[in-house]
Amino acid sequence: MDVFFSNAIEFGVIFLFGCVGEILTEKSGHLNLGIPGIMCVGAAGGCFGAKLCMAGADPNGVLTVLVSVLFAMIFAGALGGIYGFLTVSLRCNQNVTGLACTIFGVGFTSFFLNNIVLTEGVSAKLAQAGRSYFNAHIPGADSLGWFGTIFLQHGVLVYLAIVIAVLAALMLRYTKVGLHLRAVGENPATADAVGINVTRYKYTFILAGAAVAGLGGLCYIMGYMNGIVDATVDQTIQGIGWLSIALVIFTMWKPALAIIGSILFGALYILSSRITGISFVQTKLLELIPYVVTIIVLIATSIAGRRETQPPTSLGLSYFREDR
Amino acid sequence: MGRIKEPLIHITRREDMPVWKGLLIRVAAIVVALCISAAFISAASPRSRGFFDYFGSLFSGAFGTERRIWILLQNTALLLAVAVALVVAFKMKFWNLGGNGQILMGCLACAMCMYYLGGKLPDPVVWLLMLVTGVVAGAIWALIPAIFKAFFNTNESLFTLMMNYIAVCLVAFFIALWYPNGTGAMPPLEDATFPTFGSGQMGRTLPVLLVAVLVTAVIYCYLRFHKHGFEISVVSDSTNTARYAGINVKKVIIRTMILSGALCGLVGVLLVGSVNHMVSTSMDGNMGFTGIMVAWMGNFNPLIMAAVSLFIIFLSRGMAQVCTDFGYTSEALSDTVIGIIYFFFIACEFFIRYKVHINNKKIANIFRPKKKSGGKDPESRTDPPEEESQEVSFERAEDAESISAKQEQCSANGADASEICIDGEGN
Repeated sequence: MDVFFSNAIEFGVIFLFGCVGEILTEKSGHLNLGIPGIMCVGAAGGCFGAKLCMAGADPNGVLTVLVSVLFAMIFAGALGGIYGFLTVSLRCNQNVTGLACTIFGVGFTSFFLNNIVLTEGVSAKLAQAGRSYFNAHIPGADSLGWFGTIFLQHGVLVYLAIVIAVLAALMLRYTKVGLHLRAVGENPATADAVGINVTRYKYTFILAGAAVAGLGGLCYIMGYMNGIVDATVDQTIQGIGWLSIALVIFTMWKPALAIIGSILFGALYILSSRITGISFVQTKLLELIPYVVTIIVLIATSIAGRRETQPPTSLGLSYFREDR
Repeated sequence: MGRIKEPLIHITRREDMPVWKGLLIRVAAIVVALCISAAFISAASPRSRGFFDYFGSLFSGAFGTERRIWILLQNTALLLAVAVALVVAFKMKFWNLGGNGQILMGCLACAMCMYYLGGKLPDPVVWLLMLVTGVVAGAIWALIPAIFKAFFNTNESLFTLMMNYIAVCLVAFFIALWYPNGTGAMPPLEDATFPTFGSGQMGRTLPVLLVAVLVTAVIYCYLRFHKHGFEISVVSDSTNTARYAGINVKKVIIRTMILSGALCGLVGVLLVGSVNHMVSTSMDGNMGFTGIMVAWMGNFNPLIMAAVSLFIIFLSRGMAQVCTDFGYTSEALSDTVIGIIYFFFIACEFFIRYKVHINNKKIANIFRPKKKSGGKDPESRTDPPEEESQEVSFERAEDAESISAKQEQCSANGADASEICIDGEGN
């Protein structure tokens, strides 16, 4: 049971990265349906960074993790930048642009991983990086019983995810930047009128959101899968990405709630592969659960319809200053 | 009051773009995107292949043999039918991202009829049942989100997305139930496949082509000339207006989505009954998403949509050949290139909807050596102050055309833009 909770947290943080990234983007008034693609591209970039660091005879663990995280953020940020350029500056339809980002990102990742990253002997090195660097535990965690197993036996990315979520929550709630960001998402024209630079806020948080979401992809491959890149990795991350977007509604645009929500989703997601004593056919039905729960949550929040649970007012609308 | 900062680029809305000019811009965007992808692919190729070999491979992959041409037409017809099905919902501003799931449910229902009833009942009866159950299954998959959208205003795009994954799980479940060997693959069924017109690939393609053309024509007339089509466009513009005019908005939403899902289900029936004779979890081929892009790129016009479908299928078929010829192992190259083309196509829409005015004086100033940075700029001071409110400051780009060409570096551009805007708003 301890191991199940531990795995749920490990899987849940993948959702957490995607969810916090999407919250940051949506708070600026942009519905980024490209998050699944951006997470994939982040995974591709992270693997590329790890490959570069592992090329030498004596790789450095800390450097490998840092470079992978940096590459994941750069790759994901680049795709987020394309999305931002198209939707902020060129004012294109956000849904269509986001879908294009997803189609491109998923395809690019599969292509990039198979043709450029996974050359001769790289898989083993990536697995080594995942096992010994990304999942290096805090020393002595094993001796603390169930507490150690659940909370202390995780890789560095798990703690990074929770730190980012907490920082995002504090930023949105208590800082001037957070206040301005919320103003931009609610009503950009008013925000513009009081002198907030709408374009700068939109770009900053689309890029930041994409970079955070990109870490989610890296976290799936290096953290959860221990650096093993399987053939359907792009499809799996795409599914996780869509669930992350749905999780934003579940958590009512609050990064702090997202921590709990994502761990819950992580538990639901891995449930089908952890329950023993049922047939192969029955596991197929259990795989439905996260999606069904998401739908129930969507319905429940829309029926409740309280003001606090509503998306930013101008979500999905392009802002053109001369349109008033 | 500080110095007036004149923006480099000024953007205004444009209403009067002639149709031919709009088409020209779109074609130009696609050509630029193709050339960029060609340059990228030939440069990165492990084999020494030239820039023009790319186009040769593309054409031979799509049109090389008679069989390839028939497959091209068949996939185009299927994609067009999906796009038309989605247009019905989009006309109402309902984001039906559940095309994949609705197709899969059509596939599943049809395959169930073939699996359980094939060979036991006479073929025509099974055909009828396949058609009816497939269409109904697709319709139900669209009906569920539509009901909640109509009554509780539930977010339809996420709801339909989740329905996709439920459909995938259900298909995986039934395949595991029917063939419990654990591979998750299903062999083609022999009984009760749809009749073919002629032999080989042509015989499979013709019925699909026929259905797609028929569906497109009927839906075009439905949206253009039928009262329901008019109601859809009113609901799309304003639900309040629609209610005031006595239109039952809930009924329109539900009715339209049933139609959209039913057509997707029909495509599923064709996929199983005519084309593949089996079902798999990836049988939808992501046509639900591609269909959205086709519908949007084709501007909801059936003829343009047919052309766009043909182009997309041409690319994905041709790209398979490019992969083999250029020594790439991954089939995913086609999605990458199609993604690049989407980006350019989406971006070029900006130049159709907006006019970009470039401040020539400012460009001259950039190239002139600067004497003082204190802001004693004679040109910008002569401007009347009331123009300030109309100014919009955006990217620093050398000229308007280079904006679309620089798309790949736009994250860098984005950083530039924010720097400029700090100046623009800060004083």
